[in-house]
Parts: sequence; structure tokens; C-alpha cells
Amino acid sequence: MKNRIVILGVLLALGFSAQAQKYFTRDARVQFNSDTPVEKIEAVNKSGTSVLDTQTGRMDWKVLIKNFLFEKALMQEHFNENYMESTKYPNATFKGSITNLQDVNFAKDGTYKVTAKGAMTIHGVEQEITVPGTLTVGGGAVKVKADFVVKPADYKIDIPGVVRDNIAKEIAVTIDASLKPMGK
Amino acid sequence: MLKKIVLFLAVAGVIGAGIGYYMFNKKVPSMASEKSEVTIEAAQLYQEFEADEAAASAKYVGKIVAVSGTVLEASALEDGTPKVLLDTGSDFGVSCEFDPNTKHAKTTFTPGEKLTLKGECAGINLDVQLARCVVVQ
Repeated sequence: MKNRIVILGVLLALGFSAQAQKYFTRDARVQFNSDTPVEKIEAVNKSGTSVLDTQTGRMDWKVLIKNFLFEKALMQEHFNENYMESTKYPNATFKGSITNLQDVNFAKDGTYKVTAKGAMTIHGVEQEITVPGTLTVGGGAVKVKADFVVKPADYKIDIPGVVRDNIAKEIAVTIDASLKPMGK
Repeated sequence: MLKKIVLFLAVAGVIGAGIGYYMFNKKVPSMASEKSEVTIEAAQLYQEFEADEAAASAKYVGKIVAVSGTVLEASALEDGTPKVLLDTGSDFGVSCEFDPNTKHAKTTFTPGEKLTLKGECAGINLDVQLARCVVVQ
């Protein structure tokens, strides 16, 4: 019992000490494009959340699948109901860390190349991924940009035969977010 | 007789293809033309998600919800989309992203302002999120 209280105390202390180095946004832009000769599909989510701990390099990202907006109503419906099954799997997350945190100086304005490594969960399937990106420090904010590819097959997203040529095997994802200090 | 059947089939085929083409290309409609299915206070909506996400999701996600509350934060995203965060009395709020398919009469809001917005509930991601919002007069 006593041990537990000590552990709890240590955890709380760690939590509080890290608090000051946390950056946050609720306006992260996550866009994806599926480009095939048959059809061009594009969707954007402007309400992704992200928390970055500059002390440890830990980052958590989350988007609601239902908040991806398409131009065509039917595409949005198929995306939610047939492919992503958004009622069953309402969100996509990335929980990971920056692997080269030593290369970033959060006290100095500038753009830094970083690599994030961690667990991406889409459609209820978790995959270990490594993503290159940039952090831009300036004006009291940390801007995060990243481009990477997601293969629907890796996340057990079934594309039926009839539309197989309409949907790319590799979906290009773009992340664009501006994180501000938390609790200020 | 056979000629008539062929003609009928041909006409039906053209109409069918037309409907299919129309459905395929149909744009996501403006929220202004959609009816809200639920009317609720921001604080209550948030509390329901906070208490039981699964139950609240089953009740609200995918539905057009009209939410009333006080503006805690109002901003415009980099692409110009207005976004309003309604106060729920907790750390997080009800986040309303404005509909890109509607011409909004009013796009700037002041914290403290009372407002009713309607949009499609997308679920909870720290805040409860409403997509494609419009101001309810």
C-alpha cells in the first residue's frame, strides 16, 4: 500500500514537471489523397488533436474518422460505412516519440528535421510505423508537418473488386499542425 | 411489341444511368438545408460523452445536433474555416467547425456570446466535435 502511494506520488510529480513542456492543438489538419487514373479522391480533417511533450519527445495524435470531409456525399458515406467502419472504429491514432529529439532546440527558432516512431492505429489495426517530418519552432508555437503513405491493406481495409481500380493501393497522407503551449 | 419493349428498356437504362451519375457526383449538401434531429445544451452533450462514450456515440454520432452554449474560444483556421468552441464548464468543450458548403452570414464570434449551432456530431476527441456547422437563427 505504502509503495503504491510512493509510486503514485512519483507519477504525479513526473506529470506535473512535464506539464510545462507540453504543446497542444485541437486544429491539426490531416489530409489524404487517393490518386488513380480512374478517380481522384481527397478528404480533409481539420479537427485532429495532438499533444507533444518537448521534454520526452512523446507525441499523441487522434482524429475522428467521421470528421473527414469529402466533396462528394457518396464517397464520404462509403468511406465511413464500407471501408473505415467508423461506427465500430470511430478514430485513428498515432502514439509515438521523436527518435532524434537531441537535434531539436525548442528554445531556438528554426526548422528541424525529425523522425517519429510509434504505433499507428487505423480501422482497429495497430502497425508500427516510422514517419519523417519537420518541426518549426517560432512565435511561441511548434509547427509540425509530415507526409507519409498508408496502405489500406496493412490496416485490413477491404476494397471490393468493383472499385479496386478507383482507390489507390497507397494513400498519401499530409499532416499540418500548429501546437501551442498547454495550460496557458 | 418487341420494338416497344426495347425502346422502354433503352429509356429506362438512360434514366437509370442518369440517376446513377447524379448520385455518384452529388455533393455533400449544405447543413443549412438539413433538419436537426436533437437539440441539446453544450454542457449536457459533453457530460453524456464524458460519462459513457459508447452510449453517447450510439445516441448522437452521425446525427444532426443543434447545440446551445456560450462561446469559449472563436478562431479561424489557416484556410479561413471558422471554428467555435462552446463552453461546457470543463477542460474541454463542444468544438464546432463551420460548413465549407454554406455561405455564412456571420463568421466572427466573441467569447461570452450565446450561440446555437447545428452540425453533424462526429464523436469525442478531447472535445465533442460537430462537423459542418451553421448558426441556427
